[in-house]
Amino acid sequence: MSQTFMLEPDIIAATENVMPDLNNDLVLAKNFLKQQSGATGDSLYDHLVDVVHKILSQKPPDVVDNFEQYSWHVKQEKFRPNFDLLNDIYLAPPQLALIRRMEEMFRLVASKNQKMEDVDEEEQELDLEEDSMKPRITDLIEHNYYFRECGYGLSEQECYAVYVALNMLGIKEPVATVRFFGKIFGTKANYYVAEADLTIEELDRRIREFEMKDMPGEGEGGEEDRAQEMEEQKEMMGEGEGKEEKPKEPVPPKLPPIPVSTWQPPPPIPVERPGQGVNKKVYYVCNQPGEPWVCLPDVTPNQIRVARLWVRCMTGDLDAEVITFPPFEGTERNYLRAQIARIQAATSISPQGFYTFGSGEEEEDIDLEEGAGDLAFNPNPFYQGHTLKDLVDSNLTYWVHHGRHILKQGRTIWWNPNAGMDEAIEEEEDEGIPPIEPETGPSLFSPLSEDSRLEGQNAWTARISSTLVPDRAVAILRSNVWPGAVAYSTTGKKSECLYFGWGLKSQPPNFCPLQLPRPQDEYVIGPEVMEMADPTFADEEAYRIAHLPPPPPPMRGEGEGEELPEEEEEEDEE
Amino acid sequence: MNIHKLWEYKEYVNVNGKMLSNELISLLQNSLTLLQVENHFTHIQYWGQLFAVDADYHIAVGINKDAITDKKYYYTTDFKFWGLLPKAKKKYKHLSLLTTFPFRGDPALKIKVLDEALEENNPDRCQFMKEESRLAATISNICEEVEICARGQLIKHPDGTIVINPNYYGLTASEAKQLKSYLHIRPPQHRWNTNLLTRPDYNYSMDFLDSIDQDIPNGCWNLSLEQNGSIVYLKSLYWPGMMFFHKIQTPECGFLYVGNGRKNLDVPFLL
Repeated sequence: MSQTFMLEPDIIAATENVMPDLNNDLVLAKNFLKQQSGATGDSLYDHLVDVVHKILSQKPPDVVDNFEQYSWHVKQEKFRPNFDLLNDIYLAPPQLALIRRMEEMFRLVASKNQKMEDVDEEEQELDLEEDSMKPRITDLIEHNYYFRECGYGLSEQECYAVYVALNMLGIKEPVATVRFFGKIFGTKANYYVAEADLTIEELDRRIREFEMKDMPGEGEGGEEDRAQEMEEQKEMMGEGEGKEEKPKEPVPPKLPPIPVSTWQPPPPIPVERPGQGVNKKVYYVCNQPGEPWVCLPDVTPNQIRVARLWVRCMTGDLDAEVITFPPFEGTERNYLRAQIARIQAATSISPQGFYTFGSGEEEEDIDLEEGAGDLAFNPNPFYQGHTLKDLVDSNLTYWVHHGRHILKQGRTIWWNPNAGMDEAIEEEEDEGIPPIEPETGPSLFSPLSEDSRLEGQNAWTARISSTLVPDRAVAILRSNVWPGAVAYSTTGKKSECLYFGWGLKSQPPNFCPLQLPRPQDEYVIGPEVMEMADPTFADEEAYRIAHLPPPPPPMRGEGEGEELPEEEEEEDEE
Repeated sequence: MNIHKLWEYKEYVNVNGKMLSNELISLLQNSLTLLQVENHFTHIQYWGQLFAVDADYHIAVGINKDAITDKKYYYTTDFKFWGLLPKAKKKYKHLSLLTTFPFRGDPALKIKVLDEALEENNPDRCQFMKEESRLAATISNICEEVEICARGQLIKHPDGTIVINPNYYGLTASEAKQLKSYLHIRPPQHRWNTNLLTRPDYNYSMDFLDSIDQDIPNGCWNLSLEQNGSIVYLKSLYWPGMMFFHKIQTPECGFLYVGNGRKNLDVPFLL
């Protein structure tokens, strides 16, 4: 072998004046392969060496089929920039910012737990009080396990992070109970939504704030505004005139004043106070578990009504503008809150008997102060569960809503717009404004079988999680009206709802934007303004002949006789 | 999604809250492996699920030599019998877009479709469509519009066949954030040089498909990074329920559709 393939310098030395032989050809071929490419400065020889080296060291299967790929990868690796100058700089992985936040969250939760333990050890007697102080956090991990059985839910990693974040929420905010509501997707970021009940003190504080802000003289404020507007308008008009007078040019004809609209907005529907109706729960959102939770503002009836009229995606930014028609008052945080209220009202379901009015004990007085629409309900301690067959029955009579139906008004409790006027009217005259029919919706705990159907499909579809092992099977319901809303129930005592989606209602066949209102009639249609054909010359002639004065007696003054009929004609024409 | 990797993908797959349950994966792996052996497919993939009133349809795709043209679709409602879907006809593709009625779960069901835009006596005004044809047409529509792959996942051999790249390494983190790195799995509709030359690092064997950043309107694709930025999810607003995931810098990626098979025509209002 060593005789056939000599080292290069030897070959060159040996073959300087010799005619063709194998070594010479080899050198020529090698030289050709070693030619550097003008563009990259690379030679095929080096490249082949690299490729062969890569293949032999990595030993991938079927190299011959993917040789091009390999060659390409080798080339690509060569183009890695050389960070010689930045050698000492450590590039942190991109997850760092997120991990820092998570770390902070974990530390907070851990330290709180540590504190709780210390307190427990010191004062065993105060255990009960401590328990009542501690917020009740729904066990998301357990519920997620059942959702996963049914093929829904969060991935393990996400689930744990959210669960810790819920704990953080319980520590940081004045809340009594915390529940994971779901996840709402946005075009740029997603929202994790937590549903919470405020503690009694915080709720009282918010109610007081709400009453301070809203109750005293809401009407006055409006009137003042209107008066101000009128004044402003007058000023404007005044200024306008003043300006016109100053230049002493031909005075333009004085224009009649700009008409002022007499339209008055209907009285605003009062907002339901915190802890009542659509504002019964408060919602906290964040984009990533570990970020601080942001409390969403309470929703107004108007926002719910307007949000029903259009479709729009969330962006993921709470302060993003919501530009729609009809206009929406507020930013995306208000829109998000309105959508959550709608979803919560429509998709909170549980097996029959899972919740009960009052605290479940029969002696309890049912609190009727607030009106029939706002009864409190609690988990039923005597709930025994249903059989799987009942739970997945296609009639769904064993499932009930525990979300309060939102009326067209945008409230759960109907508000009578004429309530204030009623007394006055009764005094003055009996036939005032006819009393408005109160809007009613399905009552709390009405079964799903009464839900309206959607294009020949039930509003909910029931499925069993397992056909192979019926003993472990769980009933799962998915909503067809709010795609992404699901609820599960075991044959035992576990049930939960979850929402995962874009926050959009399904509106078959598809969404139709609201039409603009018809233009208002300018005047009453009557004989004076009816369009009709102009009289032709023949008509006029006929009319003139018909109305000719009787041939005058020859001796009278002709002037009088002619004038009178002319005047009559003019009047007729008008 | 590759049937044999479903257990690994279990944690990544999340379509609007819909994940794969253990039972579903077991059933799919068993029955689809049998299907693959019977039909001698080189690859078999789970395509997704279509909601129906009585029983949901599950769809699988068998791939032979060519990853775009040589595909066969199968459907089942019970994981015992997989039926071969017919080729989607253009007529049914059009009709299935008009039909908003939910799927029933019975492939032999005949659906009447009334096109009110046509005149009274026109023979095309009232047409019949079997649910099987509708299923095939819907799936074909979805595939054409939103079935995607990461760049480099499919490569074209010099002889013109398109294969799933066995040596795929995945996208880098910066590439994964761009819509340009994702390509439609369909015969390309743009001109070849448009697809090739709109990127500086073009490659003949990869850039022969249409990239999704040219889809109209801008914003109809939703790209999100989850799990500390290690997984990319792509969702289409047109077909809610469609999902594509890719674990960055690994060959793991997959497409899945779980939905009611209805195109969302409200996209211009949503943005």
